[in-house]
Amino acid sequence: MSKNDNIKENTQGASVLDFDDDDPLSATSVSKKSLVIFFLIDTSGSMRGTKMGELNTVMEELIPEIRRVGEADTDVKLAVLTFSTDVKWMYSQPVNIEDFEWTRLNAEGVTSMGAAFKELSLRMSRNSFLNSPSLSFAPVIFLMTDGYPSDDYQAGLKALQSNSWYKFGLKAALGIGQEANDDMLAEFTGTKDTVVHAYSGGQLAQMIKVVAVTASQIGSKSMTLSNETGEEVENEDVFAAKQKLLGQQIQEFVGDQNNGDVPFDIGW
Amino acid sequence: MFKGFSNSVKGASHEQSGLVCQDSSAHFVGEYYAVAVVADGHGSKKHFRSNMGSKFAVEATLDTIANFYKDVESFEKTFPLNHKFVIKRINKQIIANWNTKVAAHLEKNPVTAQEKSKFTDEEFEQIPPESYYGTTLIACIAGRGFTFGLQIGDGSLITVFDDGEAVNPIEYDESAPANITASLCNAGAASYFNGFYVDKKKLIAAFASTDGLYTSFGSDNDFLDYHTIITSQLAANNEFEAAVLKNITKRSHFGTQDDVSLSCIYDPQLAADNLDMLNKKVEENKKKAAERKANMLRSNL
Repeated sequence: MSKNDNIKENTQGASVLDFDDDDPLSATSVSKKSLVIFFLIDTSGSMRGTKMGELNTVMEELIPEIRRVGEADTDVKLAVLTFSTDVKWMYSQPVNIEDFEWTRLNAEGVTSMGAAFKELSLRMSRNSFLNSPSLSFAPVIFLMTDGYPSDDYQAGLKALQSNSWYKFGLKAALGIGQEANDDMLAEFTGTKDTVVHAYSGGQLAQMIKVVAVTASQIGSKSMTLSNETGEEVENEDVFAAKQKLLGQQIQEFVGDQNNGDVPFDIGW
Repeated sequence: MFKGFSNSVKGASHEQSGLVCQDSSAHFVGEYYAVAVVADGHGSKKHFRSNMGSKFAVEATLDTIANFYKDVESFEKTFPLNHKFVIKRINKQIIANWNTKVAAHLEKNPVTAQEKSKFTDEEFEQIPPESYYGTTLIACIAGRGFTFGLQIGDGSLITVFDDGEAVNPIEYDESAPANITASLCNAGAASYFNGFYVDKKKLIAAFASTDGLYTSFGSDNDFLDYHTIITSQLAANNEFEAAVLKNITKRSHFGTQDDVSLSCIYDPQLAADNLDMLNKKVEENKKKAAERKANMLRSNL
């Protein structure tokens, strides 16, 4: 046999969709393109009561909705980081949305947001939470808080801002109640357009669902790497375009809202 | 005596966009050595002939190894004594052969007006001609008494020696700049090669694959386990090569939809002699995978 006889440029021959269920290789499943959604959730004492109760309920309802976002051609994984006096991950690594079960959260302690940012930066790495070979998209990062950090959040944010996954990730934030500081949240997202505010239980449910589902949809979209003239654009521009699109869609939603609910801060 | 197989399958995304398969693959089994080799053409705008580039990379590798083996006795004697130096020479020879093939192809097939139409004159002038053909390359060579491999750019090389462990034997020296796929078309391409050399263990199987295979897995463990399963099946079932083609076809359609190439060389006798051990590894891996999943689903709160 000549040594070049076996060069294959594109092998034909396997009937594409005819697969055996008893194939020994099916023990290692095929992963679709994958996306990790990070939720950073304030579980400090001020979240106690209705806010946390509502948040738990919404998150339980949200899981099936996000499942639907990914089912076509993206494996979605969730990672939930809670922060109060301590920072804790709900699971020790991102969990596939199909297997994910929400653990109801309790609220107590102070708001160690800076420590949460540092922890997130540490885990957003190919050597840690973002180690899946099939990872194809920059992560979605969604911060929810009702107050001002009690630690040095800027030091944590500085660590986060040097992380490339954060830089290119799709970032959104939700301020809950009157005390949440939108300017500080915009420092986290990099733009005011992806910061929303909920003043009532009804709004909280709507905002979480809209922001999480919209961000997941945009985050898992393979955007074309060319502009209107057909010229290639840099990856950085694609990430910027995604963040801009998320801002536009969130602002369109916020603009349509009429607030008829009872605010958190007066009686909820 | 080794056996081998190799396949390249076009990814679903390339089928949708009408792009030809950018991968090439080959295997060679001779009297003194066997080679598994794959290459993945970059496929982006300025690498508009990278499907040819990957084919030339595979050919250049087979030609180069054959050339080093011209004097079998001398090569087998001197190579183990100075393997690092010789592997560097092999890498350089592959680059030179690839550039020769690229230049010959370009001379016979000048860039067409259609190929140029995607660039302004200024943009086109800035692209070095070899970049039209940019590609990665991964190869594993099993000789008598030693195994070695070489790699430039992404993709994977996995070996299963007689301890039954599926491992990536290449230690990366991080010489390639972050987030940039090293390529045969890079200036100073030789400095971007990584490699390995082993002479203390017997090789049961070696696999070279393009990154479309790796990215169709959810974890590194699954990816390594996949190679253990193939090795165990090759020992028991001569027909299993067809099942591997089916599986990579499935992965190219339902995974990240990239082209997938897999080239394998294996020693059927050594695999058969170690069949019990390989089957045991497969079962152990399944158990470990189940444990990992159970641990992952345990809430910390």
